[in-house]
Amino acid sequence: MRRIFKIYKPFTHAGLLLAAQYRANFFFFIFGDILRCFINYFLWHAVFSSGGEKTFAGFSETDMVVYIFISFLTSIIAYSDGSYAVGEEIRDGSIAMRMIKPIRFDFAFLFQELGERIITVSLIFVPMMLGVEVYKFAVTGAVCFNIVNFILYVISLILAYLITFYFNVCYGYSAFILKNLWGANFLKDCIVGFLSGGVIPLAFLPSAVAAVLNILPFASLTYIPVMMYVGMFDVPTIVFSFALQIFWLVFFIILQQVIWNACVKRMSVQGG
Amino acid sequence: MIYVENLKKEFKKTIKDPGLRGSIKSFIKPKNEIITAVNDISFHVPKGEILGFIGPNGAGKSTVIKMLTGILTPSSGRCEINGQIPYKNRKNYVKEIGVVFGQRTQLWWDLALRETYSVLKEIYEVDDESFKKRMAFLNEVLELEDFITSPVRTLSLGQRMRADIAASLLHSPKVLFLDEPTIGLDVVVKDNIRKAIKQINSEENTTVILTTHDLQDVENLCDRIVMIDKGVKVFDGDISDLKRRFGQTRELRFVPENIDIMEKLDYKKEFKLSDDDLEIENNGVSVSVRFNSSKISVERMLNYTLSKTHVKDINVTDADIEEIIKGIYRSEVKLDA
Repeated sequence: MRRIFKIYKPFTHAGLLLAAQYRANFFFFIFGDILRCFINYFLWHAVFSSGGEKTFAGFSETDMVVYIFISFLTSIIAYSDGSYAVGEEIRDGSIAMRMIKPIRFDFAFLFQELGERIITVSLIFVPMMLGVEVYKFAVTGAVCFNIVNFILYVISLILAYLITFYFNVCYGYSAFILKNLWGANFLKDCIVGFLSGGVIPLAFLPSAVAAVLNILPFASLTYIPVMMYVGMFDVPTIVFSFALQIFWLVFFIILQQVIWNACVKRMSVQGG
Repeated sequence: MIYVENLKKEFKKTIKDPGLRGSIKSFIKPKNEIITAVNDISFHVPKGEILGFIGPNGAGKSTVIKMLTGILTPSSGRCEINGQIPYKNRKNYVKEIGVVFGQRTQLWWDLALRETYSVLKEIYEVDDESFKKRMAFLNEVLELEDFITSPVRTLSLGQRMRADIAASLLHSPKVLFLDEPTIGLDVVVKDNIRKAIKQINSEENTTVILTTHDLQDVENLCDRIVMIDKGVKVFDGDISDLKRRFGQTRELRFVPENIDIMEKLDYKKEFKLSDDDLEIENNGVSVSVRFNSSKISVERMLNYTLSKTHVKDINVTDADIEEIIKGIYRSEVKLDA
């Protein structure tokens, strides 16, 4: 384990340096996302104030606001560029340059991405969390920060990130067949965003649909961590959700290995 | 050291009709064609040898290199390097080799060059002391000092190539694969790179396999050449061998005192040679006669010429390797290999 860390640590370091080169780029993206977040907020605010009902599928307006911002935070943190990175390397053939090194790609990509995002994530995490807690305090007049929920959230968030990463790597390998992933990636991001509860809580959907989506890997990406944070799961659901997340993580790790092995055999490197 | 037996690689290629219609058609029902990029190639390289791999564009050189470096899996056949099979247990195998693809880079594009080396140091688990020594050595051979702190994207092609070669040598590999290491470089840089390769080869007994289109590389560096064309091996041997087998052509050049004298010289009639074996060029001042020295000896050619003319200057030159290879590429030379 320590050896793995030692070998791949420089990737994190390199990722950090890379991120430092493109920091302006990142802040433009985040700024756009935050705007979208506020649009969502005003939309739901209007829904709640015109509906007359205090709760909606078990969500009060406060819950909804917290959900919006925490799910936004979660999807930012548990986001992975894996499919772009892998797909792009396959498309331009530079994947060959990784194959001549004694490393595992998944680890190399993973550690590099961690480095690329470590600063930005820490920059956004604390203010968002604080903002949400201050909002809750302002509305309810009491400090309702729950350390247990927070810890559960962080664990679930890390699992969510790893699942996203491996899911994206699997997806990126499809570039071996499709050769160019740009359009397919865009489509994937939209679908995953919806199915993972990043747009609306899965609890709002018809129960039959929600039941299916809850089991699918997408719920593990956003919905489960956020529900951990807002404390809307009972203990059996929490245990089940963690088991589900771990199941999907293992599933995607194995799947990416299988796809990789199959692709390498039939690979043709593009260009040169 | 390196054994290659009956190596073969086939690619599936989708044939597409032109235009949008063709695209849609091939999307729905792809038509495939099998292309044999490398067909039944065998050779063997002993330790410490520099092997030149030559052939025209698209001959399959790079495909062979990619199979030898474990990137591609052969369709059939076998290759074994240092007792290991490249495409099996790739991670372990690549620890012992260094690879440079002239048209790509293994350096981190946006980072200072130095950072790439420190990443590689950890990947190959080189300890601090050997890393220091190694860098000093590479620095001396490849002169990296001037640009080691610059981001890779700002390097010139020559600098980048030197940096890439250094990167491939950091872990003291036993075998070095160079795919067109001198592509696009100027004469001086080419020369430096050749010297560096030679030095590393002689100091560390590193086996080197290189592909190139630059025949100067071949002549200056290679102990042996393997030539392939359309995926098939057409020649395997050293350079003098190549010249002996395909290069019986000699060129006689002379400046006669009076150019009109040429009318008296009828080589074709005298030696009864076909156009394939004899070629005469007269530019009004000097005359050059290219002839096949296995059909007619240099001595007879000289005697005949000097008996008929007075010359101001005369010389006979050896076949040019470039001419020979050009001939083989155009398959003018009969191959009985």
